[in-house]
Amino acid sequence: MRHCQKSSHASCYLQQYHPSMLRHHACHPSAAAAAAEDPLQRVVRLASGSAIVIFSVSTCCMCHALKRLFCGMGVSPTVFELDQDPRGKDIERALMLLLGGGSAVPVVFIGGKLVGAMDRVMASHINGTLVPLLKEAGALWL
Amino acid sequence: MLHHSNTSSFINHEVSDFDFGELEEAIVLQGVKLNNNNHEIKQTLYSTVKPAATLEMFPSWPIRFQQRGSSKSGEESTDSGRSPMNTLSSTRLETESESPISRKASPEQQAAAAAAAFDYKHHHLQPLQRLRQVEMASGSDSPGTGISQATHATATATAKQTPDKRRRGPGSNSEKVLDAKTLRRLAQNREAARKSRIRKKAYVQQLESSRIRLSQLEQDLQRARSQGLFLGGGVANGNISSGGAVFDMEYARWVDDDHGHMTELRTALQSHLSDGDLRVIVDGYITHYDEIFRLRGVAAKSDVFHLITGMWATAVERCFLWMGGFRPSDLIKMLISQLDPLTEQQLVGIYGLQQSTQQAEEALSQGLDQLHQSLLDAIANSSLNDSMHHMVVALGKISNLEGFVRQADNLRQQTLHQLRRVLTVRQAARCFVVIGEYYGRLRALSSLWASRPRESLMTDNNGEMTPGMQMLQPSHQINQFSHF
Repeated sequence: MRHCQKSSHASCYLQQYHPSMLRHHACHPSAAAAAAEDPLQRVVRLASGSAIVIFSVSTCCMCHALKRLFCGMGVSPTVFELDQDPRGKDIERALMLLLGGGSAVPVVFIGGKLVGAMDRVMASHINGTLVPLLKEAGALWL
Repeated sequence: MLHHSNTSSFINHEVSDFDFGELEEAIVLQGVKLNNNNHEIKQTLYSTVKPAATLEMFPSWPIRFQQRGSSKSGEESTDSGRSPMNTLSSTRLETESESPISRKASPEQQAAAAAAAFDYKHHHLQPLQRLRQVEMASGSDSPGTGISQATHATATATAKQTPDKRRRGPGSNSEKVLDAKTLRRLAQNREAARKSRIRKKAYVQQLESSRIRLSQLEQDLQRARSQGLFLGGGVANGNISSGGAVFDMEYARWVDDDHGHMTELRTALQSHLSDGDLRVIVDGYITHYDEIFRLRGVAAKSDVFHLITGMWATAVERCFLWMGGFRPSDLIKMLISQLDPLTEQQLVGIYGLQQSTQQAEEALSQGLDQLHQSLLDAIANSSLNDSMHHMVVALGKISNLEGFVRQADNLRQQTLHQLRRVLTVRQAARCFVVIGEYYGRLRALSSLWASRPRESLMTDNNGEMTPGMQMLQPSHQINQFSHF
């Protein structure tokens, strides 16, 4: 399995976010490997790659809100824009299955574990469980 | 109208509205050519007559039957229904109701009315031949008062028709008196009769339409009241979607429940209930708030704009609206000073809650800003070719609004739940009483502002404003809310 290149491709995907805040990943495994990998497996693999991972769509406003939430907390999550990934549709479908319907994005993984969609993230932030989770995963140091 | 009022004049003795214009004319001209009216008129003559008329404001036949009858017989005329029943009942209506309205000015006619009344007593259901005899008798009297004896409605009805028929007497033996003065008099009477008929028709129509309008208004009022539109902070009716109207109604009920919960909480605090009992009441209040969030979720699906523009809220609440509801961090800010004493841990919890709500609100606001921007782009940048496509895109973006309102409500709900967790039962009870009073005051502020004294309302009889009066009003209103 190939590791994703980071900084060289980051500038292609950054829009209004400061480069240091977000690390966008472009994943280009070999054609053979790509065909063989089950989308759900890919999700799990990508999610385990960083302390905090967000699956997003670049035009989605709720995804934008979620990204702003983490930036506001001083966290720099790893974002995968599914509309810019050739196999993004597969991942979206896999995420829908994981979440049990509704919208596939935005979805957050912290420490490789699924936290959920926007409402779950907000609820966990309000009830004070989000920050310890971030600290535990090493995404937040304060 | 004429011929059945004539008919009933056999029965009731009020014939002051009787159209003597026609009658006189018929008598004088002796032109009683009955054409197709013959048969029907004979029928009316021989029909069974009801006893003395009672005032019948609402005849058994609908007005349209009567008016149809009138339109049939000619442009201005006689509301002559063709059926005897019709005739009788409508006559009663007309004779009774018309008399105050269309009283004939002509004294001749009134004299004639009296005379005719007398005569009709003795001439019930005259066959046509008898009529002719009456004609003759009246004709032999002085022509000046010749109006008095009645021919029948037959005469009057047909008098309306072509002049030729009038003149073509069916072999009657009276002479035709056609001097200019008589002719003029006849014409004037005819004119007066026509005018009175028109006036009466207009009045009856006006009555009917007013009646219908009144019943419609009552229905609308009933409907609006049942929908609670008047309770929803004075929202203008007619512009609310059904989903919005349903929510307004449910919200009004929720506000009423809220008052009940508040009273319960206050009395529970004052009566020093045990923590266990208090916990039940406090949890009940949380459930009460969960309910409104559930209702808002339903409303957001059917009409998100109703929520987001605050149409359900009072004016002052609408001023502070954030994403269709209250701003959680404002609530925490308001509560912090009122929740003393708090333990160290509780303080940490409350300040943490304040910070997290602020961060969450900021994130949602920025997401909504981006939605606004992309919506504007979609609408503004459409060329002629693909404007439809851009509209579709814009519609898709608007559908995201529901998601934002839902997330905002989720934030509010989580904030209340977290408050409950951080505080003790007693503190939570006090906290919710404070929240309830806070929103009660916001609503009261809206009412006060709406009913505040303004110049136009404050002038006394001389049109001058008195400072004393000015000061009286606001303080009086504020005293009403002194229990806050």
